[in-house]
Amino acid sequence: MSDTPVIEVERLVAMANQIGDFFAPYPSAQRAEGIRNHLRHYWDPRMRAALLAHLDATGGADLAESVSIAARLLRDESRAGAKAYAGPPRAG
Amino acid sequence: MPIPRKPDGSVVTTCAYCGVGCGFKAETLGGKVVRMIPWKEGKANHGHSCVKGRFAFDYYAHPDRVRTPLIRDHIDEPWRAVTWDEAIGHAATRLRDIQARHGTKSVGAVSSSRCTNEEIFLVQKFARVALRNNNIDNCSRICHSPTQFGLSATLGAGAASQHFDSVLQADVILVVGANPTEGHPVFGSMLKRRVREGARLIVLDPRRTETVNSPHCSADVHLALRPGTNVAVLDSIAHVVVREKLYREDFIRSRCHRDEFEQWAALVGDDRYSPEVVGPQARIDPEDIRRAARLYAAGPRSTIYYGLGVTEHSQGSTGVMCLGNLALACGMVGREGVGVNPLRGQGNVQGGSCLGSWPHMFSGYRFVTDPEVRSSFERAWDITLDAEPGLRLPNMFDAAVAGTFKGIYIQGEDPVQSDPNRDHIVAAMRAMECVILQDLFLTETANFAHVFLPGSSSLEKDGTFTNAERRVSRVRKIVEPLAGLADWEITVRLTNAMGYALHYDHPSEVMLEIARTSPAYRGMTYALIDRVGSVQWPCDENAPEGTEVLHTATFPRGKANFMLTEFVPTRERADDRFPLLLTTGRVLSQYNVGTQTRRTGNVAWYAEDLLEISAQDAAARGIVDGDPVAVSSRVGSTVLRARLSTRVSPGVVYTTFHFAQSKANAITTDLSDWATNCPEYKVTAVEVMRVTPSMTRAQPTPVAEAVEA
Amino acid sequence: MVWVELRALRDDIDLGTPPRDGAPVTLSIDGVDVTVPAGSSVMLAAATAGRPVPKLCATDTLAAFGSCRVCLVEIEGRNGCPASCTTPVEAGMRVHTRSERLDRIRKGVLELYLSDFPEEDLPGGWSEFHETLATVGVTSHPYGRGENHLAAPIDRSNPYFVFDPAKCIVCSRCVRACEEIQGTFALTIADRGFRSAVVASQGESFLASECVSCGACVQTCPSQALIEKSLFEGEYERAHPTQA
Repeated sequence: MSDTPVIEVERLVAMANQIGDFFAPYPSAQRAEGIRNHLRHYWDPRMRAALLAHLDATGGADLAESVSIAARLLRDESRAGAKAYAGPPRAG
Repeated sequence: MPIPRKPDGSVVTTCAYCGVGCGFKAETLGGKVVRMIPWKEGKANHGHSCVKGRFAFDYYAHPDRVRTPLIRDHIDEPWRAVTWDEAIGHAATRLRDIQARHGTKSVGAVSSSRCTNEEIFLVQKFARVALRNNNIDNCSRICHSPTQFGLSATLGAGAASQHFDSVLQADVILVVGANPTEGHPVFGSMLKRRVREGARLIVLDPRRTETVNSPHCSADVHLALRPGTNVAVLDSIAHVVVREKLYREDFIRSRCHRDEFEQWAALVGDDRYSPEVVGPQARIDPEDIRRAARLYAAGPRSTIYYGLGVTEHSQGSTGVMCLGNLALACGMVGREGVGVNPLRGQGNVQGGSCLGSWPHMFSGYRFVTDPEVRSSFERAWDITLDAEPGLRLPNMFDAAVAGTFKGIYIQGEDPVQSDPNRDHIVAAMRAMECVILQDLFLTETANFAHVFLPGSSSLEKDGTFTNAERRVSRVRKIVEPLAGLADWEITVRLTNAMGYALHYDHPSEVMLEIARTSPAYRGMTYALIDRVGSVQWPCDENAPEGTEVLHTATFPRGKANFMLTEFVPTRERADDRFPLLLTTGRVLSQYNVGTQTRRTGNVAWYAEDLLEISAQDAAARGIVDGDPVAVSSRVGSTVLRARLSTRVSPGVVYTTFHFAQSKANAITTDLSDWATNCPEYKVTAVEVMRVTPSMTRAQPTPVAEAVEA
Repeated sequence: MVWVELRALRDDIDLGTPPRDGAPVTLSIDGVDVTVPAGSSVMLAAATAGRPVPKLCATDTLAAFGSCRVCLVEIEGRNGCPASCTTPVEAGMRVHTRSERLDRIRKGVLELYLSDFPEEDLPGGWSEFHETLATVGVTSHPYGRGENHLAAPIDRSNPYFVFDPAKCIVCSRCVRACEEIQGTFALTIADRGFRSAVVASQGESFLASECVSCGACVQTCPSQALIEKSLFEGEYERAHPTQA
């Protein structure tokens, strides 16, 4: 396996920004948690990894700020065991 | 021959066409099916039928049916007929070889909503235990995945809250992005019956469909909104409910989270969602938005039925949430005659959703990332399972184009014809090393396959379907599988060939496993279905014969949730170059990609995909009725025949996707729903130009099936 | 409420008129006590009691129509012979479904139907009409060949079913099914009296009409005037020579 991203990064960025658009009306803590939960439990880990690699490499200028914040939360291992949920995002 | 031959056999089974799931008696003579008679005791159809289920069954014996497995090393080579053992062995070897070279996650599978619950369950089990990953999806990805997401988020269960008969108790019927008289005809007849009895009808649809206006049934309010403005218009209806205080305070207090309601009311109550602002955006009369809101909120029993006009948008899941929110705010959930109900396109789309054919969920809608759930399956199947979500179907194709996804097992799907942005799908197909296709006919997708496993029609096997009202009905074998094996047997053999031992004597044993591993199906057995006719899930110790109406006392999560549904316009916009918006749908006589119905007498009614265009737009382009026209979008173009129609407003054109030749999906884009990647079939900016007949002939001949009956 | 009309339908029995859900009413049919919901017809009560009344224009998926005059019964204390399909049950009613008079009337009515029905299509027939003839014991009629519909053109336009007006008894079940069940209103009875005929739209072929081919008309036709093509080997042809 090479370092080729599982899917082209432009596509992942577009998808992530759409997720960000949905959560935009939520207060910031809920917004970040909503996006994180979605990426964590609906995205293939290679897609998440590619997004994070892109964020590291470019600073994520093409990503919505809320998405960058939420993507970084994926690295927080203390949240790794948090259960998936459907429904409105929970804060904290 | 004036005296008709009298059938000598009759078996009750379930129609495999749309999500109504009508009960039929398949009548046979000398072992051949000679007619399908609607079953009076069928709880979805009560003895009624439509032209597809009643008459269009001949495809099953069509000469085009593939009767022997086929393989080839390269898609440019001719097919080679082989034995089942050779085909299955070849497929397994190719998959294992790809995994050895490109990794466990370089292959995946997709199940079909035309197959039975048992077969869908087995394909997802195949992916998890034989491919050892979660790269498993089902075709509701491209139709109703937003339903599962949006209704789970609001009401807590991604399925219809009612049964079909419930419409007969409704005072107000809100139809959103659906045309039941063509797409779900038997339910459409029931809806019309209720309207003739005096129920009020509100329709949100860009087209003036037959549901909007037909003899003795016309909509009180028709919101002919511009494609892509669903969420804005639904938020605006909610705006009126909030501002005019038409909501049900008592219901919200007792059944919902009050703080979430406040949050939602603040959003939709904002001036930007007032009818006076949204009306012009959606090109509808603001007063009609107000009338729709007041009618719906007044009830006293208001119900919502919706279709792909809601889901197939970049905000598809948001649109579904809008419907859930609206029903909650007005207290229209949890009783007879109310509710929120998806009208599902294929016979077993609900089953496809229920039975774990998802990259992120096991059967019973439980996340693969949940360790408790996962370990319960690990115990049941005696194997370690992938703990991470897999790729969704569109992402599998994306990954194939990126070079990281190399092989797929496709059960009864035709993505090359049905999925959006055809060029992208074709590129993905060409990039794969092994495409294993299981189908009745050599479809468009078969052109790109390396292994073809001839499947069985629903007349040739036992199993169950779950219709759009959660009703599980029996599919019964009427004739032997033409190619020798039922679809479930093929998947079992492939799983064994991959090294995971699997054995079932009959699909009823698969249902027992489904019941053991899926909470909503816990009490489901063939014996129960045989006894009571059909059973709506949840079926368990609390509801031993199933459940007709959901959410009567409590929601699955206790209280229901309001979601914030900000309108985010799609990136697909009309402009000077592509000034028209194309939206897509189906007609009564044809069914989806037409593989079945094109091979029946139904072509008498509809023999090609037509482009409906308003007289105004046609005149501006020098187009007259019947002209061949080039339809171009930002991703591609195709040629269709124009039909001048008053059904579409100026600025909007419409077509169907029933015929391979017309390649309607050459023009649809790869934009998709934010939450589920359900494609945005319903909005494509296009330009339409008259072409001369010689230009039509110059179009490349489609690589379609050989024979069109 | 249409609800019960649909949910109480059973595959193995035609109750004649739609089921109802009123309070229980007990009456006697040929001396047998039977209890049915208020609002039910005498025909439904008779079928429930196991004493089905011969019928042609009635079926339990359609509202009662009362046109064929075959389902007549006698009710104690009432004059004449009311049609059982359009007569609602009443508590204590005493109904008789068989009598010499009823037999005579039914035979007379059925003989008239038969006089304009292709006689070649009688032997071996298995339609509801054939069954009703057998139940009442009618095998022939005393009338000569008069004016008839035996040469009316067959409509073969629909890919799946034919309409042979020679076999049509103008009971309106197809028309009513198109309206009440399907809701398309594609069929109608044109003209009146002897010239009454089932037509699609404004006298068009079935295929060219608004008909959506749902099959409800074929399903309900009692005389196989509307019948699936799949039940015939080769094209549907009449056995009898076309009469002028």
